[in-house]
Amino acid sequence: MAEASSSITEKFFLTLKSSDGDEFVLEESIAIQSITIKNMVEDGCSSSVIPLSKVDTETLIKVIEYMKMHSSTSSNEEEIENFDKKFVSNSINTILNILEAANFLDINNLLELCAEAVANRIKNKTPEAVRKIFNITSDFTPEEEAEIRNETPWAFEGNLDHSLD
Amino acid sequence: MMPPKHKKHSCESLPTNLPENVINAILMRLPLRDAVRTSILSKQWRYKWCRLPQLTLDDKIWKTTNNLLSPSIKFTNIMYNILTLHSGPITKFTLSMSELKKYPKIDSLIYFLSRNGIEHLVVQFSEWNLYKLPSSFFTCSQLRHLTLQNCLICPPPAFKGFNMLISLELCHVSVSSISLESLISSSPYLENLVLKISDTLSHIQIKAPLKYVPHLTKLSLMYGESYEDSEKCDLDKFLQSFPVLEHLHLEYGSSQFLVADVPRRLSSALNHLKHLYVSVDELDDISCALCLIRSAPYLQTLEVKVSMDESDNEVDEVSASFSDVTLNHLRTVKVEGITCTMLEMQLVKLLLANAPMLVRMLIEPGPYYAYTEAKILAEFTKYQRASPKAEIVVRDY
Repeated sequence: MAEASSSITEKFFLTLKSSDGDEFVLEESIAIQSITIKNMVEDGCSSSVIPLSKVDTETLIKVIEYMKMHSSTSSNEEEIENFDKKFVSNSINTILNILEAANFLDINNLLELCAEAVANRIKNKTPEAVRKIFNITSDFTPEEEAEIRNETPWAFEGNLDHSLD
Repeated sequence: MMPPKHKKHSCESLPTNLPENVINAILMRLPLRDAVRTSILSKQWRYKWCRLPQLTLDDKIWKTTNNLLSPSIKFTNIMYNILTLHSGPITKFTLSMSELKKYPKIDSLIYFLSRNGIEHLVVQFSEWNLYKLPSSFFTCSQLRHLTLQNCLICPPPAFKGFNMLISLELCHVSVSSISLESLISSSPYLENLVLKISDTLSHIQIKAPLKYVPHLTKLSLMYGESYEDSEKCDLDKFLQSFPVLEHLHLEYGSSQFLVADVPRRLSSALNHLKHLYVSVDELDDISCALCLIRSAPYLQTLEVKVSMDESDNEVDEVSASFSDVTLNHLRTVKVEGITCTMLEMQLVKLLLANAPMLVRMLIEPGPYYAYTEAKILAEFTKYQRASPKAEIVVRDY
């Protein structure tokens, strides 16, 4: 009897290893929100530690936090909504790192959430501000830049926002 | 003095090259103007927007100080850029323009989209004048989601419908009854149908029964005033076309349009119906609403918008109609526009008494209603509740 009931509630755990070498133990049912991890589990490569060479510890902690909130059946829609709102208020660097991790781990909801957040931060900004936000250095000559502006002048007109927030 | 503190920036530098998917995911969530502006960021970003499979062109495009050009000239330039610079498939295009009085180049755009695999198309204009869809529109055979507003739909005789369609939303379009019926019945996979049609533009009659629409789960109808002499549609037969309906939304005037003789109960119960919204403006509407409530044993949420004058003689009908109804699955009820007429009070009372699983009853008083929230709440909390955990909330707008 005891065995039967324990088998119902038995949980499988996976160990995820960040690029910094830190290991995190996570319930399988939570971790397989990542299609990448799900595929690995299905292919039988989950018995040992799963190395995530493209995700650093700081980012992995955030991703796990997200997956826990979004998988638990006890959290209601309102809780999830509030969590998401707070989640996207992280710094743009953190969000971009999470976005890349979500892309690598193939977690569609998280990718959408972060892409939306990034889009909102660069909406209506000047190209100079967007470059700073993304840490991009322009590799165009001033002549090339002028040509691009002339090609689609309607996109560059108007009062654009210089701020970085 | 200390130097002003700069906002702390993380020392780790960002990956300068974001993966292609990530860039696309960001760009697809930007209005077109912002997406196009990323072409100047760096060579990596130069042509990214030109390959986006989803584009949105809406009123935000006019955020510009260059007022020397008229909207139609500006719009023509934008169209020219899209048609000449974009390459690759466009699966989703949203064109939502309320300030445009002429529609330059839109025919060319539709032609362009029809040749580039469009699956999800939204074309919305304001009421200035109707946009007549060009013949190329009717060749968009991959369409799965279609939303049209203020358009004139005149299909060529050989048009066979869009047979991949999952969602069809038509707002203030002009279309003949025959074309509309054939659009609906040629779409066997249709799950969502929204019709908001004012009779000033066209007087469509959907004559029941429609052809069977086996997968339709969401139906939303809003009609303007119906003609006195227009043939009323039979509610019972009409709803038989949608055997798996889960959401039903009937807005102002639509129930009267649908009503000929309202039966007490529909001949086949709406066993899949979980969410019902009805707007009650006339006496006919209340019989229709009651018939639907009685015929939907698995209803989970009910919204009733009331806006009718006092009519005490209907109170008895409301009470009588609940004698054989138990709303065992009803969890939330919202009554909008309440002014505490006898009829409304009776309705709330009966819902509270017959819904043992009710969690929340939300009351929104009508705009010119003088009673305070506290007074309304005090009145309703006197009523007997079948569900011990039901809360009553009065919210003012």
